[in-house]
Amino acid sequence: MNRRTFIRRGFFGGLLLAVGGSVGLLAWPTDESAHARQPLRALTPRQFAVLAAIAGRTVTAPRADPITIAERVDAQMATAPPEVRADFGKLLLLFENALAGFVLDARAKPFTRLSPAAQDDVLADWRDSRLAVRRSGYAVLRKLTEAAYYAAPDGWEGTGYPGPPQISVPT
Amino acid sequence: MSELVPLHNEPKKPAGAFVDAATLADGATLEADVVVIGSGAGGAVVACELQRAGFDVIVLEEGGHHTRADFKMREDINYPMLYQESGARATKDLGMTILQGRAVGGSTVVNWTTSFRTPPRVYEHWKKAHAVGEISIADLSPHWDAVEERLHVEKVPYEQTNRNNRVLFDGATALGLQVDTTRRNVKRCMQSGYCGMGCPVDAKQSMLVTYLPDAVERGARVVSRCRVDKLVVAGGSVGKAECSVIGDDGYNTSGKRVTVRARRFVLAAGGIGSPSILIRSGLGGGMVGRRTFLHPVHGVFAHYKDPIEPYYGAPQSVASHAHAERGDDPGLFYEAAPMHPMLAAVATAGFGAVHRQLMEKLPYVAAHIALAIDGFHPSEEGGTVTVRPSGAPLLDYQTPLRIRQALREGVKWLAKINFAAGAEEVGFGEFPMLMLRSDRDLSLFDHYDMGKQPLFSAHVMGGCKMGDDPKSSVVRSKDLRHHTVENLHIVDGSVFPTSLGVNPQESIYGLARLVASRLVQSWKA
Repeated sequence: MNRRTFIRRGFFGGLLLAVGGSVGLLAWPTDESAHARQPLRALTPRQFAVLAAIAGRTVTAPRADPITIAERVDAQMATAPPEVRADFGKLLLLFENALAGFVLDARAKPFTRLSPAAQDDVLADWRDSRLAVRRSGYAVLRKLTEAAYYAAPDGWEGTGYPGPPQISVPT
Repeated sequence: MSELVPLHNEPKKPAGAFVDAATLADGATLEADVVVIGSGAGGAVVACELQRAGFDVIVLEEGGHHTRADFKMREDINYPMLYQESGARATKDLGMTILQGRAVGGSTVVNWTTSFRTPPRVYEHWKKAHAVGEISIADLSPHWDAVEERLHVEKVPYEQTNRNNRVLFDGATALGLQVDTTRRNVKRCMQSGYCGMGCPVDAKQSMLVTYLPDAVERGARVVSRCRVDKLVVAGGSVGKAECSVIGDDGYNTSGKRVTVRARRFVLAAGGIGSPSILIRSGLGGGMVGRRTFLHPVHGVFAHYKDPIEPYYGAPQSVASHAHAERGDDPGLFYEAAPMHPMLAAVATAGFGAVHRQLMEKLPYVAAHIALAIDGFHPSEEGGTVTVRPSGAPLLDYQTPLRIRQALREGVKWLAKINFAAGAEEVGFGEFPMLMLRSDRDLSLFDHYDMGKQPLFSAHVMGGCKMGDDPKSSVVRSKDLRHHTVENLHIVDGSVFPTSLGVNPQESIYGLARLVASRLVQSWKA
């Protein structure tokens, strides 16, 4: 695939091509047992489950809760431009999808059904990939999940960050 | 519910006010002498000066009107509240994260207060290479004087620098590099460190607490949560702005529509914002959206034995311009960046245990950035803004090799600076992440592939270039008037033909005040 094709198709067109896309995505059954506790605002239950599985590996702070992290990302996606929201949903399904793994990584299960160690290997594969689209996809996933955890007070423990000071301003 | 009275047939102007568009009736029409679109560095100054001169001004702002009471010093609350796309705006290929404000006061509400006048060499370059013939440093100087007074711009004494900034200062000094404390637009700063989440004590003299209230006091109306979808052009001039009201989530429209009519329009929605409004209005093409520049950023983090606490204290108080002029190669400047947990997490590479271990060292982290000065070389065409099907803007910026090479030099220098200041190790990069243990490891930079690294930008410039050749610009330099649409001016950072080499706010303030004074003269004549 040449650069012009990638640019014309944009990030997700490029990603589809890079993982053997025009064949159609083989949908292995996602493990959807990771449910949101709040009504979803942007993601489908399947996308949510994939996202929670990813968050379970990107953030390994002792009390980090992948469901909470995924819910926060879902809320953020609800305020994103619709195209960004749609692209993110597709990224999650591509990450999950066994076909991608099958074609390039000889992975035979969707991400949600892999062991934690195998999930870490997939993340590392995308991180270390020679394909820019995979690296960018990895970066989006790790940044969004990590940001969602560390932005709120329950993410501060262990970082040494005491939180904001009490400021009283003379009236 | 506030009713805004149409202007004509009324001898008395409506009182000035901050108005939430959500309180207007669906289908309401507002009228004014001048509509200013965007309430940031450019829009606020122009609006205030025009209102002061007797014109009736309405400012339209898509962001919300948030005040000190809303600034909770919390990344989870204030990033979604105050930043475009919650701080996650990115370029088309996701290679660059863009921080821009979205609020009454624009990016000035969330910037880190660094105040620099435009370097003279920049206007010299623009005159020579971009036909910017009608603006000079001499023209701007009195306006900078006035702005600096109004915004309480003052130099930071070395004693007031926090440790994150001080190691940058001390390390650069030890290496013989030019470095100095910066000037900041703050008054009675309490050194909290939360400039980037909205100043919790109104010490930062942003547009929110200065030029906008000044304008409102004189009768201007600042309408928030009011996104301009398009300008309607008929017979060669803009007749009205068609707007959508933003709903309670602060992002999506509520379904309500508002129309705003005026004789004159000033577009001040900033880089990315202004070009996208022109495109949505059928005024795209030519140079619109093109030549968007970003001061692409790469940073390093350093671990020190003693606490640095990069989250407390004024976030930016030191800058080095030692490498701002590198001949034919892109210049660089170096500053510190605050590190609260979310920003630190995003800026720190890795996942799982590796990432967690780095996050646990946060109190000992110093974080510094190299900003590349893009747009000066003839080969650099900058990024291009287009509009997505939904109407949202999209910036495509392909970082040129020469910029990446400059950034490699920049981060190498930042590593040297930190070792000179006593750092135990310096970390850098995403693909892969490198940890350097001493000066001897600096050679690791030499073959490092900068092409893969994600970058940041907090300064969006260009996209509606000024210049006196209509074929290669969007507005003329004299008064930033659109070359063909006679009642439309663009007064914001989108008019810059290249990047600036300094943090942009004061460059925009000075230009806006100068142009406003020219507009007042010509419109009253």
